[in-house]
Amino acid sequence: MRRARAIAGCALAALLVTGLTACSDEPEDEGAIDVWIGFTDYRLDWAKERAAEFTEKHPEFTVNVQGYESYEVLFDALTAASQQGEPPTIVQNFEAATQESRDAVNADGEPLFASVEDAIGGRDEILGEPVVLDDVVDAARSYYTVDGEFSSMPWNTSTTLFYSNSTYLEAAGVDAPPQTWEDVTAACDKIMALDDAPANCISWPNHSWFPEQVLAEQGGLLADQDNGRSGRAENVDLTSPEWLSFIEYWKELNDSGHYYYSGVQEDWDGPKNAFGGQEVAFLLTSSGDATSVVTEAEATGFEAQVSRMPVFADKPYSGNLIGGATLWLVDGLPENTRDGALAFMQYLNNPENAADWHKTTGYIPITNSAIELLETEGWFEENPYQQVATDQLALSDGSPAASGVLLGSFVAIRAEITKAVEDILTSGADPATRFEEADAAAQQLLDEYNSLYSG
Amino acid sequence: MLPLFAMTAVAGALVGRAVWRSAGLSGRAGALIVAPAGLLGPLITMVPLESCTFEPERGLMDNAVGTVAFAGGAAVAIAAVAWIGRALSSPGGLGNLDSGGDSGTYRHRPLMPWLLLVPTLTILAVFLYWPLVETFRLSTHLVRRGAPREPFVCVDNYTALLGPSLEWWFVVPAAALLVAAVAAHVARRHARPGLDDTANRLARLRGALVVLTVVAATASVFGPGYRPVFVTTLILTSGTVLIGLAVGLGIALLVSQPIRGRSIYRTLLVWPYAISPPIAGILFFVIFDPLTGIAGHIWETLTPWEMPNYRTDATLARVVVIVASIWKTLGFTILFYIAGLQNVSTQMLEAAQMDGANAWQRFRHFILPSLTPITFFLIVTNVTYAFFQVFGTIAYLTGGGPSGATTDAMTSIIEVSTGNIGDGAAGSLVLFAMVLAVTAWQFRATGRRVHYGA
Repeated sequence: MRRARAIAGCALAALLVTGLTACSDEPEDEGAIDVWIGFTDYRLDWAKERAAEFTEKHPEFTVNVQGYESYEVLFDALTAASQQGEPPTIVQNFEAATQESRDAVNADGEPLFASVEDAIGGRDEILGEPVVLDDVVDAARSYYTVDGEFSSMPWNTSTTLFYSNSTYLEAAGVDAPPQTWEDVTAACDKIMALDDAPANCISWPNHSWFPEQVLAEQGGLLADQDNGRSGRAENVDLTSPEWLSFIEYWKELNDSGHYYYSGVQEDWDGPKNAFGGQEVAFLLTSSGDATSVVTEAEATGFEAQVSRMPVFADKPYSGNLIGGATLWLVDGLPENTRDGALAFMQYLNNPENAADWHKTTGYIPITNSAIELLETEGWFEENPYQQVATDQLALSDGSPAASGVLLGSFVAIRAEITKAVEDILTSGADPATRFEEADAAAQQLLDEYNSLYSG
Repeated sequence: MLPLFAMTAVAGALVGRAVWRSAGLSGRAGALIVAPAGLLGPLITMVPLESCTFEPERGLMDNAVGTVAFAGGAAVAIAAVAWIGRALSSPGGLGNLDSGGDSGTYRHRPLMPWLLLVPTLTILAVFLYWPLVETFRLSTHLVRRGAPREPFVCVDNYTALLGPSLEWWFVVPAAALLVAAVAAHVARRHARPGLDDTANRLARLRGALVVLTVVAATASVFGPGYRPVFVTTLILTSGTVLIGLAVGLGIALLVSQPIRGRSIYRTLLVWPYAISPPIAGILFFVIFDPLTGIAGHIWETLTPWEMPNYRTDATLARVVVIVASIWKTLGFTILFYIAGLQNVSTQMLEAAQMDGANAWQRFRHFILPSLTPITFFLIVTNVTYAFFQVFGTIAYLTGGGPSGATTDAMTSIIEVSTGNIGDGAAGSLVLFAMVLAVTAWQFRATGRRVHYGA
């Protein structure tokens, strides 16, 4: 009996081992296109549906969409996978990681990504899917093209928008959503004086994107070399008057009890929930959340008005930044797989899909033909709030300040910024002193990054 | 560097001489055997560091860290050679290293035990020793995942943590320690045996002040970046361990009473231990949520004040983290205390009762001393838990905020590693040193008062 059990055990072990080896020996499937994206919600479902449609249309390919909980987690997973020599085919990298994606290398020390524009090579259509890259709207074009060429395929693109609770506006006698930061303070003073005033007046995530927006509005630069657009940025500046002016404004709003800080860094849900629960009257957040903010407000029983991001009244205006992510194509793929991946990128952004993506989420329609399609459908007349983001981005003067910064270690530098802001908001640190410290920390991160990647 | 080598060699010789003499062997032989260890030991750290800390262009901090590393290498080599060398020199050879007389040996087949040990040793080597060596290596490099280069940066990752400054909170306990030490010495000399307790009390005070001074000294060595992390780690750890043990013992005493359904209570009380630290973090995150949390709701129903938002209130944030981690470990503590209480001699307690000891006296002088082995074990496991596991709770509960108020050593390691993994490696070695120091202190301080029974 015991012997029989021993034999059975050995056999099972042997079976397992051979099974595992068999799995690892599986030849690479040229038709498999692995797409990694940084969403796990309805946006992942949307992408999976498009992938299924694409697979149906092109049965020789199988598109597998894999969702990750955040862009940061996704980027970590990508680094690990490429070091193992098993990167996916297409990766969605967020705008802050643009420089890092351009510099990324694979296990052999070769560039990890191929330029999408190069790979398209001037073709009008790939595997029957019309190329839409040259139709991409200017806002995305000016952020993502460096040296006049797209390294990656734009997909979800947003900007910051201002959301107002109409009930509070009317009660306080404020006619229209505030256009300037000065108006915001004035409106907040009125709203907070109401008998049934909300707990706080305004909220937005403690995310570096917001002060970056206000810096760009005023034409300020975050880094040298024209924000890293005419050469590799070597110095970061978190002490400029344009930068500090908004930090100080933020601190004033906070200290007067107008600003609600959820207490969590880079927390997108806290402020949004506070607005949805009518705990605050105003919200600043991504246009990518426009659809859900407006519909949730309707469900709760109030109207959410959408307007442009406020500016400082007496300062010049350069433009607002985009946010979002692009699709990067891994280098060194078999030609067949590469074309399949390129075709899927074009399919995902074709006018019908781009328009649907915009309607589902609130990300801007990424191509001019998608905008035209939406216009002919009368979408913007029915939903005027959905046009605010596109209009706001169209006001940009296209300068390096308004295009946004390209910076190494930008994700870690942003973390330094949110940490500094938290110290200012919760422990009363002085903006100028605290940002001198943050500037030194950020500069060290950048120096270290450049010493690893440049030259 | 040559004078340093001379110093460690002399130190080795002195240690060897003392150790050999204490074992009744020739002091000269000991000095001759251990001195080379003192001479060559520093190479353990200096070779991997390429002696970079003593290059002329390096600053004072680099030299200081280098000297510590130099002395550390020497100390390890001297200790190892002295320990093994003395055993080999004494009659009985390596057998002297075994504790007590209950060791066994394979007489005929010396290969067999090694074969049997191979699986264990392989796992230890792959998952413990190699990562430790790798951590040392990483801590001297600038490392980013996926970067094409990994330059050697000497001890920069360590000096980034340092920034010594003389602060009042170091000077005061140090001065108090000096006074107490002198007083204890004087009192001991003049003590009349058996009559007064002053000498003992002073000695105990001196012991407490030594701990306080060492902690303050360590804190004052760290720079402005790492000092708050060190302080936070101390607060969270001592809060979790001390309050956790006190509450655990209290509840264990209660459920040890003959009450109906106590086995149900016991089972329910152990339950939270089965929950992982991140889940505990999420639970308390929801409970204390400033908008919808039930804790705030209850607080505002029962008291006229509004509960502050723990996500922006530093003190409350630390309290919530401590409460969450105590809640998490409480089941474990209770379980062990219940077991311990069952072993307290009832005869002894009855005898004490007949002698007129009240409940508190019975607890203080009988139950508590009987529980010391359990308490010692629980302190060790709870401190380890507080150092390494609370991170999971913090990550989901506060993320280290607000303003770093709950960023303990482990959280800070994860945080700095996003920029430079070398910084994280240096931080984990500092944590490693802290754990070593705390464990050594525990074995000295608690070990002495542990009664394992007859």
